[in-house]
Amino acid sequence: MDGSRHWISLVMMLAILAGVTATIQLRGASDAADGGSTLEALRGESSANEEKSSAVRSNSFVPPETFPVTIRKPAGPPRVATNLKDVHGEAVTVACSTCHSTRSPNLQNKTPQSLDEFHSGMKFSHGTVSCLSCHNAADYDSLQLADGHRVEFTDVMTLCGQCHGPQMKDFEHGAHGGLNGYWDLSRGPQQKNNCVDCHNPHTPQFPKMQPTFKPKDRFLEQSRSEH
Amino acid sequence: MTANARKKRNVAALKHAVRSYPGFLWWGLGQATNGGLGFYVWMIVLTAIALVGANAWAHQVARGMIVTNMTDHVSWGLYIANFTFGVGLAAGGVMMVIPAYLYDDEDMHKVVIIGEAVAIAAIVMCTLSVLVDLGRPDRFWHLMPVIGRVNWPVSMLTWDVIVLNGYLVINLHIVGYLLYMRYLGRKPNPKWYVPFVFLSIIWAISIHTVTAFLYCGLGGRPFWNTALLAPRFLASAFVSGPAFIILVMRILRITTGFAAPPKPARTLIQIIRVAMTINLVMLASELFTLFYTGGAHGESAKYLFFGSHGHYGLVPWIWTAIACNLIGTGLFFMPDALERSNTRIAACILCIVGIWIEKGMGLIIPGFIPSTLHEIVEYTPSLTEWKVTAGIWAFGFLLLTVLLKLITTVFAAEAHKTEIA
Amino acid sequence: MTTDNSFPQEPHDGEHLKPLLPILDQPSTRRTLLKTAGAALGLAAFGEALSPLMVIPENVSVDEFLQQHYKELTDEDKKKVFARLEAETKERFGADVTITDSKPIPGVRFAYAINVSKCNGNGKCMEACNKENNHHRGVDQSYIRVLEMTKGSMDMENGSTTYDHTVPQDDKFYLPVQCQQCDNPPCVSACPIEATWKEDDGIVVVDYNWCIGCRYCEAACPYHARRFNWELPEIPPEEVNPNQGYLSNRIRPQGAMEKCHFCLHRTREGRAPACQEACPTGARVFGDLNDPDSAINYVLKNKRVFVLKEELGTKPSFFYFFD
Ligand code: SF4
Ligand code: SF4
Repeated sequence: MDGSRHWISLVMMLAILAGVTATIQLRGASDAADGGSTLEALRGESSANEEKSSAVRSNSFVPPETFPVTIRKPAGPPRVATNLKDVHGEAVTVACSTCHSTRSPNLQNKTPQSLDEFHSGMKFSHGTVSCLSCHNAADYDSLQLADGHRVEFTDVMTLCGQCHGPQMKDFEHGAHGGLNGYWDLSRGPQQKNNCVDCHNPHTPQFPKMQPTFKPKDRFLEQSRSEH
Repeated sequence: MTANARKKRNVAALKHAVRSYPGFLWWGLGQATNGGLGFYVWMIVLTAIALVGANAWAHQVARGMIVTNMTDHVSWGLYIANFTFGVGLAAGGVMMVIPAYLYDDEDMHKVVIIGEAVAIAAIVMCTLSVLVDLGRPDRFWHLMPVIGRVNWPVSMLTWDVIVLNGYLVINLHIVGYLLYMRYLGRKPNPKWYVPFVFLSIIWAISIHTVTAFLYCGLGGRPFWNTALLAPRFLASAFVSGPAFIILVMRILRITTGFAAPPKPARTLIQIIRVAMTINLVMLASELFTLFYTGGAHGESAKYLFFGSHGHYGLVPWIWTAIACNLIGTGLFFMPDALERSNTRIAACILCIVGIWIEKGMGLIIPGFIPSTLHEIVEYTPSLTEWKVTAGIWAFGFLLLTVLLKLITTVFAAEAHKTEIA
Repeated sequence: MTTDNSFPQEPHDGEHLKPLLPILDQPSTRRTLLKTAGAALGLAAFGEALSPLMVIPENVSVDEFLQQHYKELTDEDKKKVFARLEAETKERFGADVTITDSKPIPGVRFAYAINVSKCNGNGKCMEACNKENNHHRGVDQSYIRVLEMTKGSMDMENGSTTYDHTVPQDDKFYLPVQCQQCDNPPCVSACPIEATWKEDDGIVVVDYNWCIGCRYCEAACPYHARRFNWELPEIPPEEVNPNQGYLSNRIRPQGAMEKCHFCLHRTREGRAPACQEACPTGARVFGDLNDPDSAINYVLKNKRVFVLKEELGTKPSFFYFFD
């Protein structure tokens, strides 16, 4: 045959290639053989995982071990600085009630502008509520709900939640306020912010920020992109 | 030595040369590297450019792709542009096979082998263009079937790798077989090559279609995401391939006196006329859709043709391409182009340049500008990229020269033999 | 065939009678000698030109060169590979790290949502990503890009990522974009060698040691989510995050592709992703799509949710919503 010689060389080249391939394959095959038992081990591990997570979901009677969700709390009623130092040189602070117990409350007051003695420089921008909508006239070291019930500063979220129902609902479902720690409570605990961690109660709008980080992509180097 | 003695010796050489394929290849290599001073200067210059390219690439591998001007925004550049053009050239090289075999055009048969040689060189260039574009060329074996892990049939790039290599093998076989038979002084047996010729015709269309699918299959890039891309690629391949072959034939005639009959070139010009017209019509309808409907889809085109948001990087390129294509097409339609004239040569060069830009800087790059998040980051190839690209072209020309030298030698020797007989 | 008298090549001397090995058969004329010398010179020159490639054998060990695809590695292989990578990290970056291989939690499918009403574009998530994921410090790389968008338009054409003023601006809203962990990921279909794939929990990962750096996936991704290592990342030793995952935040090699992996070395251990913890506005919600009580399902059920470029059919696992 005319072309047979030509073909034989072609086939030979292919054969050489196949030989190289086979050698490399053999290497791989021996590796795979080693790994047989480990594969089993792997499967075992994953089925263990399966049990754990299905327990989380299927309300089976073995209650899954869950870790707590901790919501940060304010330390307590605020303390007001006095610019005085005690004998140990520590700053002296006083409770709200120190002053407020000596004067009668003004139920009408809604803005710092109408205050002439204290709190006059304060910024306030929180709808049309008055000071005593939230602060407890009966005890300035606590807060009060709309129905007049006393509520501690540490439980401020109960107070905010009266008006901000949708936010409260989002918060309860993990869609407001962010989180730290674990998304999967079967594996670890979670920490969440409370309202006043992020929102100043007097000016609750989230503050403006200055971006501090920008990727310095190559295109931001003008010399590279703007030829 | 008299001319007659020389002829005799050549006949003897043909008769008694070693009768094995590797032997033929070795003989061919010897023949292909013989030549006059001009030939050696040409080869040395090409080698020098290839060396510069190889060195630039080696530095790129060592330091990272940071030495290119590509970015995460424009993540493909000159290399892939060049690759796209090369695939067109490779496909186009075989286009001339179609009239030869379908219409049994005798004259055409004789120049077909030049087209095949161009195809081989172009495919090698394509492969190199892809190789230099890889961030990890040391892991190239991951791309090989069996030892690697190919994502077939899903990935268009896998398809492309497969069809390009298949195309290379087919054409190597055809060229090798035809030349070997002539070398042995036998008549090629159609059984051994005609089926492959037909296969290579289909394959030529497929390599360019698959390459177009590589781009137009990406929904996130509206500029590429058009059904017209594959037909446009084919049409322009029918131009750049034959145009390149006409140039090659002209150069061969001047340097080696290997003169093809005038008819094939005329057929090629006819092909180019039709193909270029179709190409321009498709380009026009593409532009109509982009600009008439407007919107975000047209943003790349707007940037390409007129600039956008104060960036005009590609505007000079595309208008150069348009001018080249229009003037080139005009020249092709002049009666003069059917003769061995300078008009024909000028037309070929213009169209090749025009299509090179149109497929590269005019298609690959604007696909990335604006980016998928609509940021505008411009791109100009870096010096390294130009060096590497020049190196690849030089290597392609080296290969082509050697192949053509081999072809002309075998053909000329055979001609002498028939003369004596 | 037209013939020509200027027969192109020089005649051969010597006899060609015996079909011997052609090499031995070639006469040793001056020309052949010159050609041999020329070829030798050419080869030597190519060797010299390519000499910078010698960094490959220096930097790439034989084991690394022959390393198989992640899915073909046995546990034994992985142990060796991780040990090698840890040693290399020590050597090149001067940091002691542990590389782990967290597996998808069976039955869990991750999704992420961003509250567009809340995000104020401060970019803390980008910064956290940079630190957590051992990104290249030279370019302050991050998987997240925050777009400042003009109100009244969802057209990213009107967006900007380079804004540098106090945020939020009154006439703007902010759209952080990172990998959308598509359910129909075009990047995965694009990759010619399966170096990137979708895992059972929905995370699309890259084997940085298998990727050849062709960047086709980067062209295919409609969300600009992929990043290429144009050079070897640089990180001061004290800033290297030692808790590393093979498929996630280990320091990437030069020339490989990378992308957001939902911090899988954290999330597959049950922890929140770094960008979520870092967000000061609480705009980010992350969780398990398969758990009906998860935060993410609450958002999907109760908010006005949309995805980016829905028309492309990528089916993102990443959502945006308004309050
Ligand atoms: S966003 Fe991009 S990188 Fe991420 S899965 Fe989708 S296509 Fe892939
Ligand atoms: S760059 Fe890597 S991951 Fe992306 S397509 Fe190429 S090989 Fe695959």
